[in-house]
Amino acid sequence: MADDNRTVLGACPHDCPDTCSMVITVKDGKVASVAGNPDHPFTDGRLCVKVNHYEERVHSPDRVLYPMKRTGPKGTGQFARISWQEALDTIGTKWKAIIAESGPTAILPYSYLGTQGTLNGLNAGDPFFNKMGATISERTFCDSGACTGYIMTLGPTAGMDPESLQYSKYIVLWACNPMSTNTHMWPFIAEAQKRGAKVVVIDPARTRSAQAADWHIAVKPGTDAALAMGMANVIIAEGLVDKEYVDAYTTGYDELAQRAAEYTPEKVSSITGVSVDDIRKLAREYAKSQPSAIRIGVAIERNGSGGQAVRALSCLPALVGAWRKPGGGILQLPLWAFPINWGNLMRPEWVQPGTPVLNQWLLGRVLTGEQPDAPGIRSLFVYNANPMVVAPEQDKIRKGLEREDLFTVVSEHFLTDTARYADIVLPATTQAEQFDLMFSWGHLYMTMNLPWIAPIGESVPNTELFRRLAKTMGFDDPQFSYTDEELAERSYDWTAPTLQGITLDRLKREGWARLNVPAPDQYAPHAAGGFPTPSGKVELKASMAAGGNFVLPVFRQGSNEFQDGTPVDPLPGWTKPPAGDGLPFALLSPKSHAFLNSGYGNLRRQQAHAGEQHVVINAADAAARGIGDGATITVFNSTGAFQAVAKLSDEVPTGVLQSPMGYWPGAGGSVNAVNTARFGDLGRAPSFSDTRVNVRAGA
Amino acid sequence: MTHVVTDACERCRYTECVAVCPVDCFHADAARLYIDPDVCIDCGACIPACPVHAIVDAFDLTAEQERWLAVNAEMCTSLPLITEQEAALPTADARRAELGF
Repeated sequence: MADDNRTVLGACPHDCPDTCSMVITVKDGKVASVAGNPDHPFTDGRLCVKVNHYEERVHSPDRVLYPMKRTGPKGTGQFARISWQEALDTIGTKWKAIIAESGPTAILPYSYLGTQGTLNGLNAGDPFFNKMGATISERTFCDSGACTGYIMTLGPTAGMDPESLQYSKYIVLWACNPMSTNTHMWPFIAEAQKRGAKVVVIDPARTRSAQAADWHIAVKPGTDAALAMGMANVIIAEGLVDKEYVDAYTTGYDELAQRAAEYTPEKVSSITGVSVDDIRKLAREYAKSQPSAIRIGVAIERNGSGGQAVRALSCLPALVGAWRKPGGGILQLPLWAFPINWGNLMRPEWVQPGTPVLNQWLLGRVLTGEQPDAPGIRSLFVYNANPMVVAPEQDKIRKGLEREDLFTVVSEHFLTDTARYADIVLPATTQAEQFDLMFSWGHLYMTMNLPWIAPIGESVPNTELFRRLAKTMGFDDPQFSYTDEELAERSYDWTAPTLQGITLDRLKREGWARLNVPAPDQYAPHAAGGFPTPSGKVELKASMAAGGNFVLPVFRQGSNEFQDGTPVDPLPGWTKPPAGDGLPFALLSPKSHAFLNSGYGNLRRQQAHAGEQHVVINAADAAARGIGDGATITVFNSTGAFQAVAKLSDEVPTGVLQSPMGYWPGAGGSVNAVNTARFGDLGRAPSFSDTRVNVRAGA
Repeated sequence: MTHVVTDACERCRYTECVAVCPVDCFHADAARLYIDPDVCIDCGACIPACPVHAIVDAFDLTAEQERWLAVNAEMCTSLPLITEQEAALPTADARRAELGF
């Protein structure tokens, strides 16, 4: 090991749109440093505050390196090292008994994108749990609501290339703070700005991005759909519609126009808090400054009208003909550009008809028995996830995890707040120690991650974890003996036009490749229509709404049974959210600048950059309650409470609080203690931006 | 938290950092550069770009370097932004040698 000095090309594993190409320096067999690949057009030689010192995560003294079993009461973090064989035997014995007594649906997998590699990420355990017949986990953590709304309107199209933003004349960043959560996109926006483009940020809070923009519009939380419809109203009423584009490439224009007529600037102003003049100005500038671009962030879906907001926003580029040129259109999730063999990743054909589906936001209610119609869950298997931090109704989750009759297994890097409740903890590799192939939901490049170093301790990648579990359970399908390279080969349609010229060998050699699509200055995928919707056009009135509300099967292990099914208005619009007990504040819980969801919440460097758990409060609101800057306050509602430090700032208007998600709660709780598991209107997105709370000084 | 320009910048003023900064957070006077802590996104791009290793993640500041945190913040309130790379000071090469880089 002493003379093991190398440079390796890797890929950032995290749930972030940027999926960076990394250059790793290995010294004496250890990861010495990581850097952004200077040759990669999107990474451009930089990483970020989260992963600049990924070596500190890999070699942290706190890593879980060996299987462990619980030796004390649940939650106390008392564990003893055991062998892999003992861990697997324990799991196998327990699961076989549960299956014999209660059926496989008494077992629930829980996971998301702790790593988002094709092999070890979203669908890593789906073949195993589908084969088992376990209850299906519906994972609507992120963009599921936006996906449902977007696909109903535009179909699964990649939409804009983010690199084309440099050619935009007008950029609207809506519920999107790229400075913190999409930082490698910012230079393309800054370049457009230098070339004279106007950058508008629409966000209740004056975020870092809002401060760098030309115009910040502080919309009231949860009213984005109304503002988008107000824009449509002005565009239509003032004759700013690209009639030719609308006639050729959309359906339902007359119906949309009729609906938009209800959203007069005056009415929209009263809903959104944005002035009538600003609504008109925004609509006019957006329509006239072609090509214009809209970039929506994940937060757009997080309210009771969030899905319809995405529907409305997805209509706007067609109304003004923005799709005609590179730099025009809407950017939501370019993931759809990647020809992924989802079937091979998930093996949905193994799902037996009638297998129940449980949404993962409901974990607390499911474990405490409060969720009607949920099967009794006797075992929980958690990987790639830390629900104690990321999921709402934290107190219920804790209570559920305390259940003595619940057999909990957690595969992790660290002893998280969730892992502390496990009966068995399994050691997972970091990206440094595993092979993976990354798609991206924020650009158009494939990125390869070759292992940088050998696995530390007895940690294993998720691919190996499920091979071992399959053997334990006696599943002998070839699926469970494929090597990582075979899995990678099977994960993509390498004959697809977008992968022409790209092979696994080339990716292993070069580290990354741009999909075979036109260059950013040429990329205008819908200049002449070609939308992958049922009609082939932009569906301003959505024909897919007739089937009711649904979650894309990729977020539910491939199953399409037991969909939400509630009626969906085929025309976009805004619905008033529930009153929330009449509590005085809207609470926003955005992603933290320095953490990646719950990731890094335990590491000192990122803790220092994030600062103490805090709540941003307007000075006027603070003064009225005798709260000083830096004082400890309690945020509470009927769901729960948490303590944080008050940060007085005019970054939020009066009546709005902001507290970033990602802090590990320990005993004191964090922001998901007050968020509830109420769904938004589409795709079972959360509705966290509708959360109402009160605050008081002191703990 | 932020990144911080330390005194190694004095008599050098290489400004390679400005060329790689994605958010225009550098301010400058004739002698050296400073980072605006409210604008810096802690991406770290400037650290390897600086020929004299003058820029430090605030988390890594030594006790002796701590004072530059406040100096950077204060200087940026009045000094102009610098967004394009400029020629280094005539004393830069000698200073770089003196610093051992």
